[in-house]
Amino acid sequence: MLILRTLQWGPRHGHGIGQAIRAQSDDLLRVETGSLYPALHRLVRRGWLKAEWGISEANQRAKYYRLTAAGKAQLARESDWWSQLVHTIGLIMNPEPNKE
Amino acid sequence: MKPDMNELDEEIRGHMALSIKERIERGEDPEAARRAALREFGYVPAVRDSMRRVWYSRCYDEAEALARDLRFALRFLVRAKGLTGAVVVTLALGIGANAAIFSVVRSVLLSPLVNRDADRLIYIRQTALGIGTENLTFSVPEIDDFKSRVKTIAAFGDFSTVDFTLIGFGMDPRIVKAGVVNGSFFGVMGLRPALGRLLNASDDGPGAAGVAVLTHRFWTTALQSDPAVIGKKIRLGPGVATVVGVLEPSVPYPEETQIIANVVTSPHHLGATMVTDRRHRMTELFGRLATGASLEAARAELQDVHASIMREHPEAYSARAQVQLRVTTLRDQLASPARTILLLLLAAAAVVFVIACSNVANLILARSVRREAELAVRAVLGAGRGALRRTLLAESLVLCAAGAMLGLMLASPLTTVVARYAARFSVRALEATVDAGVLWLGAGLAVVAAVLLAYVPRLPAPDRAGGLRLAGGSARMTAGTNRRLRIFATIQIACSFVLLAGAGMLVATLTALQTANTGYDMRQVLAIDVPPSATGVGGAAALDFFQEATRRIGELPGVQGVAAGMVVPWRDPSSGMKLQFAFEGYQPADGEENPTCRFRLVSSRFFEVLGVPVIAGREFTDEDRNGSELVAIVSQSVAQRLFPNSDAVNRRLWWNSLGNGQPRRIVGVVADVDDEDVVQKPSMTVYHPVRQMGYATRLFVRATGDPYALAPSVTRVIREISADKAVERPTTLEDVRAQVLTPERLNAFVFSAFGGIALLIAVVGVAGVLAFSVSARTREFGVRMALGSTPSQLLTRVLKEGAVIVTVGITAGAVFGYVLARVASTYLGTTRMPGMLPAVGAAAVLIAAGVIASLLPAARASRVDVLQALRSE
Repeated sequence: MLILRTLQWGPRHGHGIGQAIRAQSDDLLRVETGSLYPALHRLVRRGWLKAEWGISEANQRAKYYRLTAAGKAQLARESDWWSQLVHTIGLIMNPEPNKE
Repeated sequence: MKPDMNELDEEIRGHMALSIKERIERGEDPEAARRAALREFGYVPAVRDSMRRVWYSRCYDEAEALARDLRFALRFLVRAKGLTGAVVVTLALGIGANAAIFSVVRSVLLSPLVNRDADRLIYIRQTALGIGTENLTFSVPEIDDFKSRVKTIAAFGDFSTVDFTLIGFGMDPRIVKAGVVNGSFFGVMGLRPALGRLLNASDDGPGAAGVAVLTHRFWTTALQSDPAVIGKKIRLGPGVATVVGVLEPSVPYPEETQIIANVVTSPHHLGATMVTDRRHRMTELFGRLATGASLEAARAELQDVHASIMREHPEAYSARAQVQLRVTTLRDQLASPARTILLLLLAAAAVVFVIACSNVANLILARSVRREAELAVRAVLGAGRGALRRTLLAESLVLCAAGAMLGLMLASPLTTVVARYAARFSVRALEATVDAGVLWLGAGLAVVAAVLLAYVPRLPAPDRAGGLRLAGGSARMTAGTNRRLRIFATIQIACSFVLLAGAGMLVATLTALQTANTGYDMRQVLAIDVPPSATGVGGAAALDFFQEATRRIGELPGVQGVAAGMVVPWRDPSSGMKLQFAFEGYQPADGEENPTCRFRLVSSRFFEVLGVPVIAGREFTDEDRNGSELVAIVSQSVAQRLFPNSDAVNRRLWWNSLGNGQPRRIVGVVADVDDEDVVQKPSMTVYHPVRQMGYATRLFVRATGDPYALAPSVTRVIREISADKAVERPTTLEDVRAQVLTPERLNAFVFSAFGGIALLIAVVGVAGVLAFSVSARTREFGVRMALGSTPSQLLTRVLKEGAVIVTVGITAGAVFGYVLARVASTYLGTTRMPGMLPAVGAAAVLIAAGVIASLLPAARASRVDVLQALRSE
């Protein structure tokens, strides 16, 4: 979900995705490269991402990942599910005072 | 779509480059940046593997690992040349033998016939088991009855054989066997011409022109496939026929012939006896099922009709003969005589395969014990049991594949040998070839062997602490491995015993047949076929010819004597020539019939030339001719059985059971000789002088030197007297017997070959097991010697181990063989148990082989150097 989210605004390469997740989470969340790449490939295989070769900032060929339509739908589904989860957990952790 | 490995690598490199660049931009120095990037990334191959695993399933991993193992195994086995050679050759023998036998079995028992709709083609046979006749054949009136009454058969084809002297095609006069058939024969058989046309309904009847079809084999071998033969005129015996076609290659049944002609070519077939005598049977009958009729329906109807024919003509079917009708498809008929022998061969081949596999298993097992250290190290380093098995599987796959390839190369020549052998039982064997099906069989056997072999060695338990300690030492025997090795060696001995005992039995039978006294002088007598010439049969001319030929050949240098007769012992079919005789002074007991004796025509001096002793009276002379007193000679059995207390000479006999007609005076008694069967039995025979009746067709020449040296001059003399006489097959009686015994000899040869292969493998197996056991117990022997054992005690000890393996194996083999023979006899009907001698002989051979096999390792054990042995660990 996080990966899908980082790609919402356009294609990025693997390293960029890792950096983005790190930056956006204020360095709290570091995705291990060892898990990131297999994860990316799993998403491509499921058809949620599309990979294409491009030239990176280091002037090297790099693989850029882009959200597909199915990927966007999946992102929407997962976001909903996540918000719901957060909301539910929030309810349990911080019961609303007026219910007491 | 799927990224390949390069793509994954490139992606990772791209990531690294970016990561390093970023760090450098942050101010780290390049080397530190590179290291940090690598550290952050983790173990590159692992990441790449997990990326790849997203795309490729586990199978791929396994397959890749197996491929790696295969490469590894190949390298390893190339290094271990001795082991590889032994395993590959052993497996090749096992697989080759199986593939060859299987090819033949398939072509005989399984493959389809060329005949159109072969499953609707049936073969009809009359048997008379009561008088020992498997195939009574049919007479023309019987066939006519079937044709007019049976509805479930659309058409009948009949086939009988005649020997013709063939003159034509620019060849020397030669005797050909010809099939004489009716016009519907080829339609019924469902055969097509390879050239020209076959016979049809317009060729039937006495008014048609003589036409003949050549069989494919005759056309290709004798006539070099000359297409110009169509339309040629040939002389067939007394008549003339035009060649109209060549038959496609097909299974010749019931007999292999050179030509197939219509009825009009054979005067005999047009004669009154043939057409009207219900008992004159010489024709084979085939039928094609009518549309919608099943084999069962046709069989039932044919047997009904047959039963009513028998009721209507009781005179033609004696109750004693037990005439019956058998109806089968031609396919089953062709396969049946070969089935038993082929299944036996298949069993023998399977046994050889088992021996081969168990021997290979032994070799692999012994080696894997030596490798236990290596396997243990790998197990401790984390290789799973699966991975270890995979390594072993890869090795055995490589071995078995090599064995299978070599085996299939062997299969082709082996198939030729086996096919030639099996052709004695079923003509279809000659069609056998090695093809894709057999290749699959070979591959299948190899895979089976490979998987079995991979599961033979015991894997080291990864959790065992002893695993690593093993790695340092030399090979050790565990009790379990030892037991397995011995079990495999015992299996080999047991199987070898079964094969050897079987082979021994066949060899014993053959030797008995070959050395039996036949009563003839075998070596010096040349038998020559001089069939009735094209110019006519019998009569005074033929007698004069033989008189003249006998006289002139007798004058040739090196000829001791010449005689004429009608039957070359064992070579000529003579079972029909029997008659009931009435004897003066012999009264059959109530309910007993007059004795049936063989009826033979011989010339003067016949018994002298063939070396048959005259026991009483005299032999025929030139004076026993037309016009002089009618005489006969009887065999010893006749004299003893009919006149046990008095002299047979000078009594009279009649050749019909009623005792009327012209009497003949018995002038002599000769020793029994059985010219029908090489296994001599007492035979009641009555000889008549050829010059008082009939004619002769066989010449017997007794030579002082080499009989075969006389053949050309004898032929020349005969040609001088009569230019178009065929002179064929000059052979000594000894060689005739050898030819007759060919199937027995082949049987013995094939089984001996199997037995020999088995013995060889088993000896290697026992020697291997003991050698391994000795080398793994060097330390034990060292200790024993240190404690005072003498070398000879150690030698005896190892020999004893070998003897135990062999003895247990033989015992198991005897039990197994006995059970096998019992089971076989319930399925196959007739099996002969091996006598004591072959079994004991086989056991002796095996024990001797076992001792020899144990000698080498035993000698090694006795030479163990105490100090070295104790230090060796």
